[in-house]
Amino acid sequence: MDEITRTVKYEADTDPHFAEEIAGIARGETLRACIQCGNCSGACPVSPYMDYTPRRIIAMTRAGFKREALSSTTIWLCASCYNCTVECPKQIRITDVMYALKQKAIKERLYPKRFPVAVLAREFSAAVRQFGRNSELWLIIYLYLKTNPFAMLKQSILGLRLFLQGRMGLKRERIPMGTGKKGDLQTIWNALDRADR
Amino acid sequence: MSETMQSAEPRVGVYVCHCGINIAAKVDIAAVVEFAKTLPYVIVVRDYKFMCSDPGQELLQQDIKELGLNRIVVASCSPLMHEATFRHATEAAGLNQFYFQMANIREHVSWVTADKALATRKSQALVSAAVRRVVLNEPLEHQKVPVKPNVLVVGGGIAGIHAALTLANAGKQVTLVEREPTIGGHMAKFDKTFPTLDCAACILTPKMSMVRSHPNITMLTYAEVVGVEGYVGNFTVKVKKKARYVHEELCVGCNECVEACVYKEGRFTDTFNEGLSKRKPVYMPFPQATPSVVLIDPESCIELKTGKCKKQCATACTRNAIDFTMTDEIVALEVGAIIIATGFQTFDATRIPQYGYGKFPNVYTSLEVERLVNASGPTGGEVQLRDGSTPKRVGIIHCVGSRDEKTNRHCSRVCCMYSLKLAHLIHERTDAEVYNLYIDMRTPGKGYEEFYDKLLKEGVNFIRGRAAEVTDWTVTPEEEGKLVIRAEDTLIGVVRRIPVDMVVLSVGLEAHADADEVRRLFNISCSKEGWFLERHPKLAPVSTFTDGIFIAGACQGPKDIPDTVAQAGAAVAEALALVDRGFVELEPNTAFITKELCSGCHTCIAMCPFSAIRYNKEAGVAEINPALCKGCGTCVAACPSGAAQQHLFTDEQIFQEIEGVLNYV
Repeated sequence: MDEITRTVKYEADTDPHFAEEIAGIARGETLRACIQCGNCSGACPVSPYMDYTPRRIIAMTRAGFKREALSSTTIWLCASCYNCTVECPKQIRITDVMYALKQKAIKERLYPKRFPVAVLAREFSAAVRQFGRNSELWLIIYLYLKTNPFAMLKQSILGLRLFLQGRMGLKRERIPMGTGKKGDLQTIWNALDRADR
Repeated sequence: MSETMQSAEPRVGVYVCHCGINIAAKVDIAAVVEFAKTLPYVIVVRDYKFMCSDPGQELLQQDIKELGLNRIVVASCSPLMHEATFRHATEAAGLNQFYFQMANIREHVSWVTADKALATRKSQALVSAAVRRVVLNEPLEHQKVPVKPNVLVVGGGIAGIHAALTLANAGKQVTLVEREPTIGGHMAKFDKTFPTLDCAACILTPKMSMVRSHPNITMLTYAEVVGVEGYVGNFTVKVKKKARYVHEELCVGCNECVEACVYKEGRFTDTFNEGLSKRKPVYMPFPQATPSVVLIDPESCIELKTGKCKKQCATACTRNAIDFTMTDEIVALEVGAIIIATGFQTFDATRIPQYGYGKFPNVYTSLEVERLVNASGPTGGEVQLRDGSTPKRVGIIHCVGSRDEKTNRHCSRVCCMYSLKLAHLIHERTDAEVYNLYIDMRTPGKGYEEFYDKLLKEGVNFIRGRAAEVTDWTVTPEEEGKLVIRAEDTLIGVVRRIPVDMVVLSVGLEAHADADEVRRLFNISCSKEGWFLERHPKLAPVSTFTDGIFIAGACQGPKDIPDTVAQAGAAVAEALALVDRGFVELEPNTAFITKELCSGCHTCIAMCPFSAIRYNKEAGVAEINPALCKGCGTCVAACPSGAAQQHLFTDEQIFQEIEGVLNYV
């Protein structure tokens, strides 16, 4: 039997700046205008599989329930179809809020256990950042090592076959980074860093 | 106060109002007071929390008496709000009321200026302008102009009907103008009214027939106002009576012509039944139409389109009422007051494509369902689907075209209640399972919450969530052949799929598409959404910014029947207060000619839109009749020699005001 835990929320459980922070990342100031009509959840093709409906994520974000919002499966299941954003009667940029929550979750390392999308996203961007290209084999290896190393054994047969067919190489793919002159890769990173700031 | 006192050296008193914190929070009152003390002729400067209150008014009255002030400046709100208040206070203290000048530091400063230092400087500039101007003000008297006793009511819905009847019962001659061929408006289409479920026809049709038979009411149906001239108490209105091709005074509404029409069956959209039935080119709008007179639609009548019809209708009419040569006619009316009660239109449901209106035949608007449940409707009160079968499951979607940034931001106020009413009627007549999908249930009205409670107990299902879509894409066997409404049940926190046979879209209320043209016609204001603007949202809810023109009913904003009728009564009271007084006092802002400067060039005479100027041959100068002058200022601007001037707006007053304002720059 499951353990009985406290479900009442105290003000101390909330982060009063959370809504502001997320709204800032998502340019989603309209977040506060939410009337909790649930149109987003109804319009969402994947909401039947989420632990919290998108409407509840918006409510939790607005109320400052940071841990609950960031560790939900909802934000990782979001397929970015923008249906919710299109239909929202208050024109809240719900999909963008989901992205902001994902970013925040990765930064705070708060994501559901065995839900490797966050790790995948981080490893992918780290590889691209370092080599300019993604190498599938290495991405998979890092993903399994950091989430569930035993699962890698199960996949090894498939991996071997892909390797023998020439579909997956051991070689790291890379493109030159450049020195920050016009048109090379470093210029893109510089621009992104500026945008981040 | 004696004449000598008034013509003596100006002695100005300046009063700065805090308006609670409306002004004081943005404007440094003390700095304005200190500044005003430095202005010429200023004897005393005071500030007070609420200048418009009794103690505030007494403040300036006491100073007039004790300090011998002969000019008063109050820096507070808009003249629209309290100019009359302070003029009266000035007059009551024995000073001519036109020695008073107002500076608007609320609407023009504190409410619209973000920076406190700027707001203070702006207030100082406006006070300086007012002081410089008031010094040049002269004593004037209001002109009294008689008011015409008749009243025009525009719109023949329940608001217009109630207003016309009440005015007529008070002995006024009323003209009721209605755009449609019958009066009755939206209410005539309803079967029952919430929350009492009394039959709409039973309470409306007697009033309609009273309008027709009342000796004091002239009813102009199928007619539109096309021109309004004049001013409070003296309006000249032009009304276009559209050709019905049937003489109203001859037709008795026997419908023989309709029977005789070459079309054996109705072929054309019956707008009264919301398109759920067909009518012939010659038709009676609905059985209880008032006046009970048929009309011919020129768009569909063969004779009017081609001139090649057997004209069986005309032959069938024993009273020779049908006349194909009829043309539109213009009627001129002279009225003292106008009540506008033009109502609303419902939201066009095709604007929200995900609800499938116009795509799925069994998605209806609420107004269509009103006709379906109506005993005199196209199905005789049977709730049927398009194929004639009875629905077993019905979903009612609230807030269609309401509370939505993309369509209408406002809450339409009546949809929750009429949706509950329709849920009750459908459940009662068909025993169907009814689902109401709402965002918030809004039932603030007498007996409204009790009605909601009754529906809950009747077993109607309520799902709190805005429907996301209506689809014919089915997942489970019980959804086969049905429409599925997808929505989150927000109280449970899960997404639900509700299979139904019929979907009812509770469409919101909108201002008429031509509201802007109508408001221009009557020279009144409307909000961005097209609702006509009341003079004050709380204290002048049926007056407009144009004196003598009043508004009632849903043209001012979404409203249910009780509120509409109450507002119509209020508009009548305001109109009666105007016409029963018998006269209006006009602002003495008329133009005058300084004889010594006039060269007799006739320029102003040709320019005057009111023919108020004539040429005095003996003196060789122009003369203005103050009773005809409306103070438009055209002659003043046109006069090449500066002989034409306007009271309250002399060149010198305007220049001084400008110099004062320039302090700000």
